Amino acid sequence: MIFLHPLVLLGLAAAAIPALLHLFERRRPPEAEFPPVRYLSEAERQSARRLKLRHLLLLLLRTTLIVLVVLAAARPLVRARARGAGGAHEPTALVVILDNSPSAGVVGDGRPVLERLRAAARASLAGARPEDRVWLLLADGVVRQGTGPGLVAAVESVAVSSRRLDLRAAVEQAGRIVDAEPLPAREVHVLSDLQRTALGEGRAGVPRGVRVLALAPFGAPPPNWGIGAAQVVGGAVTVNAVGTPGAGPRAVTVRLRGRTVGRALAAPGSAVSVTLPALGQGWWVGDAALDPDELRADDHRPFAWHIGPPARVRAGADVGPFVAAALAVLREGARVAEGSEITVGGRPGAGSSVVFPPADRALLGEANRALAARGGSWRFGGPGTPGTISAPRLGGLNGVAVMRREQIERVSGGGERGASGDSAILAAVNGEPWLVRDSNLVLLGSRLDTAWTALPATTGFVPFVDALVNRLARGEGVVSSEEGPVHVEFRSRGADTVEATVYGPDPRESDLTPASPDLVEQTLGARMLDDTQFAAARFAGTRRADVSGTLLVLALLVAIAELGLATLGD
Amino acid sequence: MATTRLDLLDPAEVARLGGIEIVAQGVVEGFLAGLHRSPFRGFSVEFTEHRAYQPGDEPRYLDWKILARSDRLFVKQFEEETNLRAMILVDSSRSMAWRGAEDRLTKRAYADRLAAALALILLRQRDATGLVTFDAAVRQVVPARVKAGQWTRLVRGLLETPDGGGTAAEGALRHVTSLLARRGLVVLISDLLFDRDLALTALRYLRHRGHQVIVFHVMDRAEMELTGPPEVRFRDPESTASVVVRPRELARAYAVTVQREIAAWRSACRRHGVMYHHVQTDMPFGLALRLLA
Repeated sequence: MIFLHPLVLLGLAAAAIPALLHLFERRRPPEAEFPPVRYLSEAERQSARRLKLRHLLLLLLRTTLIVLVVLAAARPLVRARARGAGGAHEPTALVVILDNSPSAGVVGDGRPVLERLRAAARASLAGARPEDRVWLLLADGVVRQGTGPGLVAAVESVAVSSRRLDLRAAVEQAGRIVDAEPLPAREVHVLSDLQRTALGEGRAGVPRGVRVLALAPFGAPPPNWGIGAAQVVGGAVTVNAVGTPGAGPRAVTVRLRGRTVGRALAAPGSAVSVTLPALGQGWWVGDAALDPDELRADDHRPFAWHIGPPARVRAGADVGPFVAAALAVLREGARVAEGSEITVGGRPGAGSSVVFPPADRALLGEANRALAARGGSWRFGGPGTPGTISAPRLGGLNGVAVMRREQIERVSGGGERGASGDSAILAAVNGEPWLVRDSNLVLLGSRLDTAWTALPATTGFVPFVDALVNRLARGEGVVSSEEGPVHVEFRSRGADTVEATVYGPDPRESDLTPASPDLVEQTLGARMLDDTQFAAARFAGTRRADVSGTLLVLALLVAIAELGLATLGD
Repeated sequence: MATTRLDLLDPAEVARLGGIEIVAQGVVEGFLAGLHRSPFRGFSVEFTEHRAYQPGDEPRYLDWKILARSDRLFVKQFEEETNLRAMILVDSSRSMAWRGAEDRLTKRAYADRLAAALALILLRQRDATGLVTFDAAVRQVVPARVKAGQWTRLVRGLLETPDGGGTAAEGALRHVTSLLARRGLVVLISDLLFDRDLALTALRYLRHRGHQVIVFHVMDRAEMELTGPPEVRFRDPESTASVVVRPRELARAYAVTVQREIAAWRSACRRHGVMYHHVQTDMPFGLALRLLA
């Protein structure tokens, strides 16, 4: 049993009042002459046992009455037995994870999923007491702390976000937050559509003693089609369709400046290519769209590309077979031409150059001296550890394995690490630069050979080489993808537009398939509960019933008994 | 007129009219006016019966006429030749000086007036009447006389007896035995707050001596029912004894005890041939006297 107002228990000292009054009154009663005292003594002697019992009962009743009233005022809470029973709970640290990622915008039974999630969040926050510590975690990853009512107001204003929420990471973060609180109870409420793709990999590390409750999805989600990506390669746009696995194909419409330039059928998980009309040089923006369905956020996606004159490339003798083959393909597609505008090889040329480390480490010094002669601020360092490529702005490179590499390091006095002036780290391995643009020099940490990296064996290799010589080496930016509201942003340098970023929802959001209860249990360590179960389980681990009402009723009964016994007299 | 019948008025109101003499005379006038005959019978020199002569009988009591007619020896038997000799015993202990309310007489004042009225009635019948007042000991003794001025002496005896201390009735009762050589009437007026067994022993002795004994048990109405503040210490005026009680919770048991005591006195007196009368100080004197009729 705990008490909401424990200080009131000091009032239990008042339980001694009846006994003290009794003693006090017995000491100083008024005196009076009364001749037949012998009759009184006789009457008292004969009633002694009854009177003693009555006095004892009165004393007990009065003491009990005070104790009951004081206990009721202290608001005692006892552990509630019945599930779903109302009542208070022990002070609790609570994080409500409200998944307002794009998938929460799907409409089911005429009602957005987010609306149902918001209602559940409101109920969780409204159940919080002033003694609780409460946080709200949304898809933007920002943890909001506040009071229950304050966060309820925040929940009211929550809209569908364009950002994906990694539930595993969110639960882990929430677990750490509540675990840091020195409160008797800790809970994490996961209010999400529980997409299978939102759970991530592995098991969330939830501290011991933290209860994680997950609201079960409401019914089966509708099948969904979406466009995960659209990329222009060689005069055609490749559209990747995403959505519910197994769903049939849907028509994809490609528009350019509001005019439909092509249509194709694509099923989730497949890609279709739509040939674009011949266009002049410059930046172009198109749009790939699907017919509207229950989730509108992924029904269209813009794409941007740049049309420029083909780069005139001179390949060094040491470029290797893969680069040579890629350049040959690009030459056939008129994407590159023979010339000396751009040099690709182990040593930089006079103009723009793409430089990768020499196969023989003994030649690193020579390569570095050549880079220094060009005034470069980067050079090759010692051998780097193997890893995978991380290139946020070069989608095709992400996750590609690198088995061998040379570190790329800034020359002493060359300024800060990272972007500086015309320098930019375009890709990294193990957090170390792997692809660096330094003015019109592009340095690669690995040779484009399968002995160094798996990149030449991927489908993105030719587009990568295309971007390498046509954009990166020329100082132009690439078209990158970012998570966010659907739109295109351009970056310019001087009067020239050098880079485009296409924003859209994470493709994983399009797959609305919910996770199974087992997977949720396994990944989040959470029990998946329907609405009723969830309502009953909130704070149930520490739920306590307020028994002050019962105590007051008991006190009333005791008062009636006391009154009856006291007025019954003899 | 009914309003002139002082014997039927409230004792406290009658007491306001004057001293004991006036009150007693007024009460007795009213009382006797309402009676058809005196409630008391005196003794006369009257023949009662014959019985066979036995050796040792006084020859002067032989009935010579019967002897002459039937030749048999019979002696005459007679009642007492004297008038009634009455002694009134008034309890003057401290407990008698108590009253339960300001508008009532104390038990002692009531007893005094009742005794004076009773004495006046007896003296008017030419019965010798005396007085004994007592508390722990005998305080005043007025021997029984019938001569003029006796009533005044009796009243003075009552007035000159102060409120005493404790009560020991048996001593006074035994003293009366020595004062009444012949059979007579003994009237005890008391609140009977003393040892019942000892008092009954003395009363029984009086009866054994052939006296007619009447007991007036005087109580205040407040002694019949227990009332008072929620808690009170009641102190015995005649001793250091005291008891703390809550009148409300003890009232019923007290009332039962009082009724049991009265019943015990009544029963014991009846058993020993003693007339017992319970009177309360708010009872009109006439009604109290009528109990003897």
